Amino acid sequence: MRRRRPNYFAGFGSLVWLLVVGLPLYVMLIATFQSRPDYAANGPLAFPGHFTLDNYIKDLNSGFAQYFLNTVVVTVCVVGIVVLLVPPLAYTIVRSRGRVTTTVFRLFLLGLAIPSQAVIVPMFFVISEAGLYDNLIGVILPTAAFAMPVCALILTGVMRDITPDLYEAMTMDGASPRRIFFRLVLPLSRSGISTIVVFSALQAWNGFLFPLVLTQSAETKVITLGLYDFQTEHGVDTPGLLAAVVLSMLPVLIVYLFARRALVQGLMGVGGK
Amino acid sequence: MKQRTRFSRTVVGGAALSLMLSLSGCGAGSDAADGDTIHVLVYGDAANKVEKELVATFNETSKVKAVLDTIPGADYQAKLQTIINSKQAPDVFFNWGGGSIKPFVDAGLLLPLDPFIAKDPGLKAKFLPSVFNSAVVDGTSYGIPMRGTQPVLLFNNGKVLKDAGVEPPETWGDLLAAVEALKADGVTPIALGGGDRWPTLMWFEYLYDRIAGPELFRKALDGDREAWASPDSRKALGKIKELVDAGAFGTNYDSVKFTDQGSPTLLATGKAAFELMGSWEYSTQQDAHPDFAKSDLGYSAFPSVEGGKGDRANLVGNTNNFYSVLKKTKHPQAVAEFLKLMYSDQFVKAQLGIGNLPTTTNTERFLDTAASPEFAKFQYDMVKAAPAFQLSWDQAYPQSAATPMYQALQQFFNGSMDEDAFIEAMRALPAS
Amino acid sequence: MTRTATPSAADGTFDKADSPGIGAGRPGFLWAAPAAVFFALFAIVPLIMVAVLSFARWDGLSSPEFAGLDNWKLLFDDPVMIKSLWLSVLLTVLGVLVQTPLSILLGVWAAGHQRNRAVLSAIYFVPMLLSVAAVSVLWRAVLDPNFGVPAQATWLFGDGNLFGTQAGAIGVLVFVSTWQFTPLHTLIYQGAARAVPQVLYQAAQIDGAGTVRQFVHITLPQLRNSIITSMILMVVGGLTTFDTVLILTQGGPGSDTTISAYYMYQKAFKSFDYGSASAIALLLVLVSTLISLIVVRLSGYDKMRSTMEGL
Repeated sequence: MRRRRPNYFAGFGSLVWLLVVGLPLYVMLIATFQSRPDYAANGPLAFPGHFTLDNYIKDLNSGFAQYFLNTVVVTVCVVGIVVLLVPPLAYTIVRSRGRVTTTVFRLFLLGLAIPSQAVIVPMFFVISEAGLYDNLIGVILPTAAFAMPVCALILTGVMRDITPDLYEAMTMDGASPRRIFFRLVLPLSRSGISTIVVFSALQAWNGFLFPLVLTQSAETKVITLGLYDFQTEHGVDTPGLLAAVVLSMLPVLIVYLFARRALVQGLMGVGGK
Repeated sequence: MKQRTRFSRTVVGGAALSLMLSLSGCGAGSDAADGDTIHVLVYGDAANKVEKELVATFNETSKVKAVLDTIPGADYQAKLQTIINSKQAPDVFFNWGGGSIKPFVDAGLLLPLDPFIAKDPGLKAKFLPSVFNSAVVDGTSYGIPMRGTQPVLLFNNGKVLKDAGVEPPETWGDLLAAVEALKADGVTPIALGGGDRWPTLMWFEYLYDRIAGPELFRKALDGDREAWASPDSRKALGKIKELVDAGAFGTNYDSVKFTDQGSPTLLATGKAAFELMGSWEYSTQQDAHPDFAKSDLGYSAFPSVEGGKGDRANLVGNTNNFYSVLKKTKHPQAVAEFLKLMYSDQFVKAQLGIGNLPTTTNTERFLDTAASPEFAKFQYDMVKAAPAFQLSWDQAYPQSAATPMYQALQQFFNGSMDEDAFIEAMRALPAS
Repeated sequence: MTRTATPSAADGTFDKADSPGIGAGRPGFLWAAPAAVFFALFAIVPLIMVAVLSFARWDGLSSPEFAGLDNWKLLFDDPVMIKSLWLSVLLTVLGVLVQTPLSILLGVWAAGHQRNRAVLSAIYFVPMLLSVAAVSVLWRAVLDPNFGVPAQATWLFGDGNLFGTQAGAIGVLVFVSTWQFTPLHTLIYQGAARAVPQVLYQAAQIDGAGTVRQFVHITLPQLRNSIITSMILMVVGGLTTFDTVLILTQGGPGSDTTISAYYMYQKAFKSFDYGSASAIALLLVLVSTLISLIVVRLSGYDKMRSTMEGL
């Protein structure tokens, strides 16, 4: 490592950013432990004199547990679809010499540029005609489809870095594409696969527009919509709302605490190399 | 190599397994076959409690079962229009009458209710006529009143008024004087949730009514766009400007919302003295600030404007909510039975119990059982006596007018649009 | 699957049987088919429908009618539409201008291996864990003029009318996106900065270059590819900002933060003018395709080149 004197400018800057990041988080946390009148009286910055867990209990009883479950189901399904479909796709893109494959790759590159808003109107009618309106499957399918382009891009990047020698060695041994895929490509793309797992999981967890347009009842509501409705319903209370925000991030926070390295590495992978 | 194979297997097997598990999990949530049911779609909020009871009562005796579906408030209108012509369309749905159902009538989706009324005259006769007529389109009835009426009233914080030596205003002059007195006291005279935009609209509705009378808006709605450029219209706009410029709303009203409790809390905590709001302000305050609602929450009719053509007894707001019926319902008979419950004693009492005010002729008998009898009586008498009750502009116009209307209102109010530009914007609205 | 699970001699024979001479060991199109079909069904088919709808008049109630170029003509005559395009560009450019330097500095700083940097980086990462909806809801509460932070810090916020002026509302949108997405971009730069060969710095130190010069002459050029990746994410993200606008400003005050993506939503689900909405949607797709193409060209991604080949 380079030797250098302490960098005061960087130190100061990092503390300012810590304040910017930390202050709203602090406001959020302390608000959730106060009753509504206390929060209104104390203001957002004062440390509460009287702690209560009522906001969390109230939220969990008002349907957030269900929204939670729905979000988990959507996330698991989306990740499942992506992990099942994208690796063979990326493998083909990297190894196949066919013209069709090139076209498919171009298609997915184009997909990068299709914002999900752009197709929301026909998507509604497609899902509705398929009888999947207000059904979690109707949210899962488009969400997975729209997570695929970036995942394909990430994974092809990783698979391209497998040295051609290795493929050739296996081909010499007479290995079939299937064998090469399972024995060589998958094991060597581990980092890429964790990246696409993280990426597609975040996409699904944070999904907003598809559930907003494609579902309506409480039984199919996901957390992000729960937060939105909470805010727009008459008679909302800020501490209760913020408690819901905290609840919505708890699972991700737990994953973060236990698998920080994998998550961070995974997201670094989004940027490629 | 061995370890690598295990990894591949885990990835593929795990993914496939979780996919199957969760897909079968979601599948379980899909609809069972809809044999003999009618779907009733309502605006999702606290009042759903009563609707649930009602559906249960109906299902006790009916062979065709009713199923209650809800869509949370903010998205109700948007969702309704997207599903109303699809497989997911309900049989009966909640609406505001007027422009909110006009496009559906035009598209031939709604069932005329006159045959129902012919069979059971009570479906019309048991409701106050001024209210019932809001859901009559081109001479045909398309809606039966449900829930209650929601006139807009001028609420106040009695304690703040007393401290400033101010009375609830009777006239525009009183209001301007009150604004000055309250400002001197360091209080924001009027709380306004401008961020939601529809609270701003209420000021326009009342001032146009008081100055030009209810006819001007009715003409504009019927397609006489020049009404917006009339001298009365300009006078009303002038009054609004006068009030805003007097600092009646403070300066940050566009960052305040009613829906996140911003403006009601200003009123309850004494940081503001007045709020012009629908009658639901009362139950909102009861819920969030029960002590304030009990002791200091006051209310009065909107003041008259000197020299104006509108009666002080005129009202604006949500005249009522309605149930309308889709033509393609398979069980019109069951629906007719369901609608009869809207004027039943049980329903009226249940609505009063949660603070709604049904506009049936039997309501008067049960006013004592209301959540707050005094407030219920005040409202009921006003609605009954009102020479005109104007449906909110955003509901009277077709849905497509709402966004440009809100934009123009907000921009005129905060001064980023002048009078001529505002008139131009209102003239450009798609009329009904 | 059972077959791959039992690697045996028989497995090998089977494999040999289905690999004929040339192109041996290369997967056929069928490998990509499931993903391609799935993607086409849920992205390409709706996109084609959007293109068709953009030439139709439709409110979702009656059947669609052919409208020729009407929607497109109206689009370019609509002042709100023109304004929304400018706002989209403005928001995107501001986002890139604020986030890029910030996340480069933070990323390079976090690339150091000191302990305090690791701890702070862990905290910096937290906004990334919240959904856009959650972040928007959180900031709406924090920035409430009467009950949020502005009321306590009038020296900074004045009357707290952040959502009531165009400058304020745009500022809030840019700031909130920055708050949420800087961690992601920081990570990208952190990873890239760690990959810069140390020899370069050692050589520079021998030449007597200071920290700033090293940063400008070594770090920045080495980050070139990451800057491109990060920017394309910011641009596409910026052009399609939706949740934030819906929850924080609803396009207001007036139409002052009605960006194209939100205007499209309004046209479709508030005004039920699906034709115009589809035209805006198609325009959005064209613009972001164009930007993606430019960036893909710049970065050489379409060459299908392995990063290993360069070595």
